[in-house]
Amino acid sequence: MKRILMAVGALVIGATLAWAAGEEAYPRPAKPAKAYTIGVLVPQLTNPHFLGQAYGYVDEAERLGARVILHDAGGYQFLDKQIAQMEDLIASKVDAIALVAVSGPGTVPVVDRAVGAGIPVVNVNVMTNNDKVAIRVRSDDNVIGETMAKYLHERLKTGSVVMQSGVAGASAFEIRAKAFRAWIEKNSPGIKILGERHSLNTPDQGLKNMEDFLQTFPRIDAVYNSADFVAIGAAQALKATGKAGKVMIVTADFQPDTERLVREGVVTQAVVQQPVTMGRWAVRAAINILEKRQVPKLLYTPILSVTKENIASVDLSTVRAPAGWKPR
Amino acid sequence: MTADDAAVVADAPRGSRVPWDRVALPLFILGMGLVFGSLNPNFYSWTNVTNVARQSSVLALLAVGQTFAIVSGGIDLSVGSLLAIVSVLGSMQLVALGLVPGVVGGVLVATLAGAVSGALVALTKIPPFIVTLGMLSLARGTAFTITGGMPVVGLPAGFEAIGAGSLGPLPVPGVIAVVAFLGAHFLLRATPFGRYVYAMGGNEAAAVAAGINVRLHKFFVYCFSGFCAGVAGIVITSRTLSGQPTVGETLELYAIAAVVIGGTRLGGGDGSLVRTLLGVVVIAVLGNGLNLINVSSYIQLIVIGAIIIAAVGFDLWRREHGSAR
Repeated sequence: MKRILMAVGALVIGATLAWAAGEEAYPRPAKPAKAYTIGVLVPQLTNPHFLGQAYGYVDEAERLGARVILHDAGGYQFLDKQIAQMEDLIASKVDAIALVAVSGPGTVPVVDRAVGAGIPVVNVNVMTNNDKVAIRVRSDDNVIGETMAKYLHERLKTGSVVMQSGVAGASAFEIRAKAFRAWIEKNSPGIKILGERHSLNTPDQGLKNMEDFLQTFPRIDAVYNSADFVAIGAAQALKATGKAGKVMIVTADFQPDTERLVREGVVTQAVVQQPVTMGRWAVRAAINILEKRQVPKLLYTPILSVTKENIASVDLSTVRAPAGWKPR
Repeated sequence: MTADDAAVVADAPRGSRVPWDRVALPLFILGMGLVFGSLNPNFYSWTNVTNVARQSSVLALLAVGQTFAIVSGGIDLSVGSLLAIVSVLGSMQLVALGLVPGVVGGVLVATLAGAVSGALVALTKIPPFIVTLGMLSLARGTAFTITGGMPVVGLPAGFEAIGAGSLGPLPVPGVIAVVAFLGAHFLLRATPFGRYVYAMGGNEAAAVAAGINVRLHKFFVYCFSGFCAGVAGIVITSRTLSGQPTVGETLELYAIAAVVIGGTRLGGGDGSLVRTLLGVVVIAVLGNGLNLINVSSYIQLIVIGAIIIAAVGFDLWRREHGSAR
């Protein structure tokens, strides 16, 4: 009984914290009199991150009496498809468009066209280079990098770290890696960064990088990862050499494999974005714009730091779609 | 009356029966228009009509070149990747040298790549499928290598006019595509080159025996397909106002699909640009209309796949049915 009460208590506290720090920082506006239609463009629904985000758009729109038209480009390489989808939304005369850009520079002309047609564009998660967007909703990649740096500083104090910085030139990965390095170099004289590798964000690349690191450096205390596919690879390399759990792994993102590795104690910390919150805030911002209310130029959605210790109490409803949920 | 028209008439059932090969696709397009328009009236809006023209112009240009490759008895799988290499190298030239050298250089790059494929097809026994499959990978890899995977930015602002501009009420990419169709139709129907393309696609040995320089004209076919991809590459680069090494993936398959849906047989010797135009319109209107009535992109893939198979199946059934009488 006592344990049940404690569990309930932890849940309540967790939920309250999530509520306080989470989505309510940008509150839901009153339900508008008009039923608006919001076009949503995402890069790739097969990625659970964007499935969660899609749920955020659709569920929030339902609560606000709005309708979502959701288009999936099917991958970051299909810029031509995303442009055509956006043109079709403009022709359909949707009230607003939420855009997760597959390309920063490549989406500039089509955003011009939407704005020219009087349709406000809410830029979410992955940025377009077009400054005419009404508002940007995203995670702060600086904070993601710094959160990992602070955690390692507290846990390690002194030691050696290697970095897997993900795709060279991809802004989100670069910003996280730079923020991590800058914070460590400024605040943590005991921690030494031995090496840094860029690669595609895939498990096989992460595995190879980590194997090479282990061959190069006799002592590694922790490995930083800009994203979790390379972290999963690093975990495999450490498991194979019997070092899982002894070398700390910190990473951004939280796919199901990463969650399992956190529970196993192999991944030490995951810094988790809140895609569902991104979708919700984007819809709220769109409604506010359409109802002629002021919106900020930039909204940072909060992030969560998930470890083996707190994983039971973390509210994942802002991170993932409910199990089995599918768009339409 | 041209050879192709004669063949069609000979195929068709005698008497007052409906010439299905002529009216089936236009009727299908009309039907799609009625359905989409009734479900979303914006489908008929001028903005949307110009959207379809803009969106389909790249596919249309690729399909023009593809028609020549297929009628000649070959195929060109490289055109989607050629878009990427034009986008990347053309953009770099646009940034470094300015508007005209950039556009000309971009088209030239793709024409040269087509010439390489053409030379290999003409001079070796390697099948066109393999040569252009190799070129597909070569061109994509080159585009990634040159850029390190990153987009090329900083294109001159005036360049946007090719993709986004209008001539009066007509969108520039649509005008480019129409001009390409008219020019290519003339080339295929009214010049010796066009007759040779049909001849070598129909029966290569006979074409050789008739004294046609098959090697030279095969070479020209792939140069022309590369040239069309070059123009398409300029259009897509302007629409994205950046050089994208990832652009155009799988578009070669849609170009082939457009030609085949139109009723041109893989294998060569038969086909026309009017048919290809109808095939392009089917794919373009279908994609646009399904977007406008909010059908998921997964379902769209299923629908397009079914239509490719149905169109070719219908065509074969009609031919057999016709010749049986």
